[in-house]
Order: sequence, then structure tokens, then C-alpha cells
Amino acid sequence: MKKKLVSLLLASAMVASLAACGSSGGNTSGGDNKGGDSKSGSGEAIRIINGKIEIDKQLKAFAKAYEEETGQAVTIESMGGGVDIQGQIKGYYQAGNMPDLFVIGGDGDFANWKDQVADLSDCAFAKDTDMAYTDDSGKVVGFPYAVEGHGITYNKEMLDKAGIDPATLINYEGFKAAFEKLDGMKEELGIDAVCSVAAESGQMYWSSGNHVFGYYTSGGQARDDKSIFDQISKGEFDDARLAQFGKFFELLCKYSDQKILISGTYDDQMAQWMNKKSVFITQGNWIDVSFKDYNGEFDSGIAPLAFTEEDMTGILADSPSWWCAYKDGKNLDAVKKFLDYLATSEEGQKCLVEECGMVSPYKSCKLSPSTPLAKSVSQYIADDNTYAWDWSNLKEGYAQRCIGGILESYAKGDLDNAGFVKMMKSQTKAYMNQ
Amino acid sequence: MGKVSPAKKTFSLAAIAAGLVLSVIALVMDFTGSTNSMRGTMLIAGVVILLVGLYELPTEKHRMIINIIFLLPLVFSFAVTVLLPFAAGIFYSMTDWNGVSLTKFVGLSNYINMFKSGEYLYSFVVTFLFTVINMILVNLVAFALALLCTSKLKGRDFFRAAFFLPNLIGGIVLGYVWQFVFNKVLPEFIMDGASMLSDPNLAFVAILIVSCWQYAGYIMMIYITGLQTVPKEVIEASSVDGANAWVTLTKIRIPMIMNTFTVCIFLTLVNSFKQFDLNFALTAGAPARIMGDNIYQATEFLALNIYNTAIGRNQYAAGQAKAVVFFVILAVVSLTQVTISKKKEVEL
Repeated sequence: MKKKLVSLLLASAMVASLAACGSSGGNTSGGDNKGGDSKSGSGEAIRIINGKIEIDKQLKAFAKAYEEETGQAVTIESMGGGVDIQGQIKGYYQAGNMPDLFVIGGDGDFANWKDQVADLSDCAFAKDTDMAYTDDSGKVVGFPYAVEGHGITYNKEMLDKAGIDPATLINYEGFKAAFEKLDGMKEELGIDAVCSVAAESGQMYWSSGNHVFGYYTSGGQARDDKSIFDQISKGEFDDARLAQFGKFFELLCKYSDQKILISGTYDDQMAQWMNKKSVFITQGNWIDVSFKDYNGEFDSGIAPLAFTEEDMTGILADSPSWWCAYKDGKNLDAVKKFLDYLATSEEGQKCLVEECGMVSPYKSCKLSPSTPLAKSVSQYIADDNTYAWDWSNLKEGYAQRCIGGILESYAKGDLDNAGFVKMMKSQTKAYMNQ
Repeated sequence: MGKVSPAKKTFSLAAIAAGLVLSVIALVMDFTGSTNSMRGTMLIAGVVILLVGLYELPTEKHRMIINIIFLLPLVFSFAVTVLLPFAAGIFYSMTDWNGVSLTKFVGLSNYINMFKSGEYLYSFVVTFLFTVINMILVNLVAFALALLCTSKLKGRDFFRAAFFLPNLIGGIVLGYVWQFVFNKVLPEFIMDGASMLSDPNLAFVAILIVSCWQYAGYIMMIYITGLQTVPKEVIEASSVDGANAWVTLTKIRIPMIMNTFTVCIFLTLVNSFKQFDLNFALTAGAPARIMGDNIYQATEFLALNIYNTAIGRNQYAAGQAKAVVFFVILAVVSLTQVTISKKKEVEL
């Protein structure tokens, strides 16, 4: 009898503990909402998956201020630095733990979520920008929070020393002349190489395959002209344009640090340029935040990767990613309010531009960034001299699985210009038709 | 069983019925998307009442019911963590699942496309080569080290610990550390400043080196344990009979630890085939290798290829299909290998 009693007690303890686990799970998310429920909102925190780990602290500070102001709690979950963000969000989705706002990087990511996102067309932010993400039917579904631009970033001090005007870097000949001149002044400038370019295919494909090759996809094209993009998506190329791109890439490689070119990592590439051991680097304004990790800021700017014989004066600038709202989220209205506040209020714009050092995609924003490359990008935007980031909408994995290896082989000299063109055509055709 | 009290029977039947009803209601609530927070409690309470009812049920099969009830926790967790995911995996491999939703059932086309794609076949061959070479290399090195560490060498305990140490470091960390070694340190001394990792063949060798360095110490430990089980009397007897060290090794020690070889070869075979973390961190598939009109990632092994298919290309279903084939190969190879090796074992 005693035994039975003990076992019964144990069994009921187990059931009770399981029940306790089950019921407490649902309430924790609103836990540290210090009495804010009474003010407004549903009381549950808005949960955001932020894909830019660099601005994690700033966003969290903003979220705290927002909670104090409105009583609506906001939790930021930041991911980045090699984390597979989309995979993580998919995991949350499978687990029924979908965040209210999550990040997408373009058409490829959006295709997964097109049935899960809320229509944000009636939000105030949607009328204040051209860079919101729209679905096929023209509904605004993605919230842009930054504009990023990339091309070939130069050290202005060194160009001045060598007497090169960055305004001449708008075509192949301009670059060729500049590279030759700088190459002859290596000792005077104290540099190891003229350019820091990374074309290793395993870990740097995103730089060569996305950013550098991105200029082939949309460089020199009006923002709404998708002819070259459509061509690539069908696996076709403009022979002359591709050959020009190849010729320019060869020039870049020739004047690059060879070790970094074929086996360097992002850190190697950055260290060389930041330590003033090279003049050019093929990165964009996101490297602004890294100045402080090296020797501090110096005068610099972004030039287009103008591979063409004709002039190409603008750079590729666009919203790199968007926040989508989950349509079955519990507090969709609170989410919309938060987005509008972040985009159009003074505090929100201050957070994005001044705290995070980004370029605002909103027309009502009059703040200007303080970091050198963000300034450079703002200037191109103000001059209406930008091209779209069409590369981010190419078939998923194209840069990593298809052209990364080709650009690496070309950089190593395993392929010549004709071989490069031929390989690009055959491999792209195969990849796109897969 | 003697007398059966009708009250007990009624009670147990009522409990079974009540338990069933409760758990079915809870399941229905869950599948219809109800957010009632009591559904978990209801389900568990239902299952417990059902089990109590079954336990109390006066029947000839009482003993069998008890066996099943006591096995249930284990069977249940095995089903939830192994069987269900496995079945779901096979199911997903025949759809166009993208990690979020699926629109249609595509039958075997994921499997067919997979074997038509050059990069997969290339990856297959490279993985096969790596597995064979790595298995032989690791076992040779490990056995040699084990012999060394069971000899009368001075400070052998220190060496044992030292050889074992690399195995305690995670593959990702090792990968990045060795990437630094291959990219920054070695080029200072050999190859005129070029990194081993930028040449397709040498990058393959680089993975072999690191893999062997990491794994040989672990396998060595198993061989040491094996070698220590060889009875001293047998070795003494052979030396009295005039056997030299080589003969003792080949005719007595190795045959007597055949089962250790089975374990070690099995472990290295499976682990080499599954190589992922080192591959991911050290080369991530690079460099590129040009073969005729095609270009492949020279050191992309199967596990990495599966990862890149699912994550890099967002083809979750195709990746899942590759993973199923991966499993089948692994299962067939391992079972064959174990069967063959078992036959050779010497009964002690």
C-alpha cells in the first residue's frame, strides 16, 4: 500500500510539473513589461529578427526608449556573422514561434514567405520611400531601414597624393591609368598593392560573385531597366559587355595583392586597406563601422566599378534587406505603429542615421550621416546617380554555387578572357535551367 | 486469475474511455489551432488516466500490458526523436518543400536530378576518395602511435595525453586555426608564398592532414586499450619460442585485437564519410577545379554539398533527398564492413 502511495505521488508530481511547464511557456514573452500593459498595445512584446548584427545595440536602445514612450515593449533578436538567418526563421516557423518582424534579403527569400507576410501599404512609411519591398501585385510588404552602396572604395588621401581625381574613375581607361600610376608609386605611398580584392570561392564568393559581378548585372542601367537581369535569369549574356567585364576584372586582379586575391579572408582584405597598405578595396559603406577597429577614420569615398569603355558614373545602392511583418502575428497594429515611428519620427531617423551610421531610405529624413562612406553614398543618392541591386534577386545560390568558382579560377589565371566568357555562359545556362 | 471484481473492471474501462476522450479532445484542439493553454495538461492527464485504466484492467494479458506500459517511455521518445523525423525526412525528399511550405508532391524527381548533376557526382567521388584515404591514414598513424605509447618509452603518459588533445578541440575552431596555418604560416617557408588551400589537390591534402591530426589520437586510445588486453603470458611464451618483435606483432598481437580493428575502422570510416565541420571551416569547398567545360568546388564533400544545397540554394527538398541517399550509403557501407570484420575476429 505504501509503495502504491509513493508511486501515485510521484506520478502526480510529474503530471503537475509537466502542466506547469506547458502553461508558463505562453506568458514569458511579455515578462519584463514593467506595468506597461495599461498604456496601450496588446501588452505582448513585438519581436524582431534583425539581420544586421552591427546595429544590435543601437536598436535595443531605441526599443527601450520606445517602450518608455509608448508602453509597447519591443524585443530585438539579432543574427549575423555567418548565421543562416533564413534557416533560423524557418525553424521558428516550424516551431510555431514566428517573430512579428523578420528580415528578408530579396526575391529569393521572399518566395518562401509570400503567403505569410502582412500588407503594409497603408503605413505612413510606405509613402515616404521608393525602396520598400513590393510583392508581385504592388503591395508594400517589406520595410526598408537602410540604403547601402558598394563599388570600389578608395583612400582619398592617397589619390590626392598621387594627383588622381576620383572623378576620372568612371571608365576602364580611367582605372587603368590610375592603377598604373599608383603601381609606380608603391614605395612613395607605402603600399603593398594597389587593390585589395578577394576572389576565393569558399568564403569570399559574396564579395566577388555578388558585389563585383553585381556591376555587370545593373551597372550603368536605369533603376527600372531589368534587361540584363532578365537575360542572366534566362542564362544568357551580352558577349561584348561580359568580355569588357572580364577585361576589367583581369585588370583588378593584376593590381591586387595576389595572396589576398586567391586565399584571403574578409579580415585580410580589410586589414590591408584599413592599415593603408592598399588604395582600393571592393567593399561598400558597411565597412564604415570597422574604421574604429583599426586606425580610425580617414578621408575615403566610393567609386563605381566602371568596367565599361563608356562612362559609368553611379554606384549600386539599394536597401540590402527588408523587414516583413508576419500576417498571423498577434499585434500587427502595434507593429505598424512601431515601423512608422522608426521611419518617420525624428527619434527613429536619428537612430537609423546617427546611431547606426546608415543612410536613410526615407525622403522626409533630412539628417546626414557622419561617416565617410555613408556620406559618399548619400551624395550619389542626392545626385540621383545610383543603380539598383539587381544581383540580390538573381537565382538563389548563383554567386556561391556558380560564378564564385569561375571568378576564382579567372583570378588565379586558370582561365583567360575567352575561357572566362565561355565558362560563364555554359555554367550560368546550366544553373538557371536547373 | 480467480475472481474478477466487477467494480474494478468498470473502473478500469471507465478510466480507459475517459483517458481516450481527454487525449483525443486535446489533440483535436491542437490540430485545429486552438490556443487554449489547458490542452497540454489535458493530453498528459488523458494519457496517464488511460494508462492507469489499462494497468488496472483485470485480464489474462495483464503481464503483457505491463511490459508495454513500462517500455512506452523509451519507445515513445525513440519514435519522436528518431522514427518520426526519419519518416518526415523521406516524405519531404519527395516534395518541393522549401523549409516553410510545400506545394506539390514530385515523386522521385529530386533523386533523379541529383544523379544527373555533375557537382553532386563530383562531390560523391571526392568524398569516397577522402573516406578511403583518411581511413587508412588515420588507422596507420593511430596504430603506430599506440605501439609507441605502449612501449617502454619514457614519458609515454604525457605523449598519450598530448596525442589525444587535438580531438578535444572542436572541428570548426580547428578549421579556422589550420586555415591560418596554411594561409599565413606555411607559405612563409614552402611553395613560394602560395597557400596550399588555393590549389585543388593540395587543399584536399590539407584536409587529410588536419583530419588525421585531429582524429588519430582518439583512435590511438582505443588501440592502446586493445593492446593492453593481450595477455602477457602469451607474449612471454612466444618470446621463449624465439619470436622476434615483428612476428609477435603480426602473429599474436594484431590477430588478438582484431575486434579493436573492427571498432576503429568502423569509427574512422563513418566519421570520414560524414566529415563536415572541418570541411566547412577550413576550405568551405574552395578552391574551384576546372574539369573540361565544367567547374566544381574541389573540396566540397557530401555533407557540405547537402548543406549548401539546402541552405545556399534554398532547395530544402533536394537537400533532403541527398541526405536520404547519404544515410543509405552510410548504412550499407557500415553494415557490410562490420559483417566482414566480425568474421575475421579471433575468439579469445
